[in-house]
Amino acid sequence: MDALQAISDFLITLPIGDFVASHDWVWPFCETLHFFGMSILLGTVGIVDLRILGVAKGIPIQTLEKFIPLGVIAFIVNAVTGFIFIAGNPVGGPMEYLTNLSLGLKMLTVLIAGVNLLIFYVAGIEKSLAVVGADGDAPRSAKVVAVVSLACWIFVIIWGRFIMYNDTLLYALGL
Amino acid sequence: MMEAIENSAYAVWVRESPSIFAYTTILSLHAIGLAIIVGINYVVAFRLLGFVPEIKLPALRKLFPWMYLGFTINLFSGSSLLMANLHNDLGNWLFIVKLVLILFAMVNLELTRINVFDRPGAIGADGLPKNAKLFAWGALLTWGFAMVAGRLTAYPNFVEAWLGF
Repeated sequence: MDALQAISDFLITLPIGDFVASHDWVWPFCETLHFFGMSILLGTVGIVDLRILGVAKGIPIQTLEKFIPLGVIAFIVNAVTGFIFIAGNPVGGPMEYLTNLSLGLKMLTVLIAGVNLLIFYVAGIEKSLAVVGADGDAPRSAKVVAVVSLACWIFVIIWGRFIMYNDTLLYALGL
Repeated sequence: MMEAIENSAYAVWVRESPSIFAYTTILSLHAIGLAIIVGINYVVAFRLLGFVPEIKLPALRKLFPWMYLGFTINLFSGSSLLMANLHNDLGNWLFIVKLVLILFAMVNLELTRINVFDRPGAIGADGLPKNAKLFAWGALLTWGFAMVAGRLTAYPNFVEAWLGF
């Protein structure tokens, strides 16, 4: 809790809160961007995952991976707008979000997705896809990564929507 | 009629139940469905605009059922959310604009499927059926503005302050 308070104290020193409070367009604008980022991230990463799992054969997996940089841009857009939401929360301040269980679960799920992606590249799984032809089957290790990736990003969306309705999560957990 | 829908057992459950599976889960499903259909349609549009030209169109055609899955999820989740907030939603002009834009986006998607994928006509210099780029821009713009309108339905005061209505 002290660590969260320290983070919150730091975020409040940034000019983001004042900027959000004095410009009414910032929040809806960032929210809209956050939805664009969400769609493009799930679309680009999702089609690679689906192809690894055997959907849309006829395209070599590594060709579809050329969409991944677009997903990375979308992720950066959402990291920046997400940071603005936390640091610039005009109602409850950063602490309201930092102590929100749904947001905590969302960040944990993003972290798992990140580690999963790291394993995909570092453990040689991505390299193993070079020999998979346009109609070929991906190795089992790649399929595991794809399932984890899809599950993570879907849950990132779910936890993201739960942030505003955190009470229903706490109620379900008996907290 | 509107009262009957809003006071139906299902609408009341969606709106008022503290259950995790009521409003919050349905709203989450709505975001997932949106990400599926818009995300995939954007990837298809980027390809038609010349991004990653190595991808052959017949393979991309296999992604259409996934877009229909996203649309179906949102037809059901959206109808549920609408039943729960019928007066509010129908009284919000941006909500109507959003529905019209979604209708345009779906018509555009079907025209893309027919004219670019299923019965492609004359192939242009870019190796794509005629009008492919037009349909791609149609997808980017209709879904883009539908998302803007959808997000702004949550900020009626902000919209009124800026536009005056």
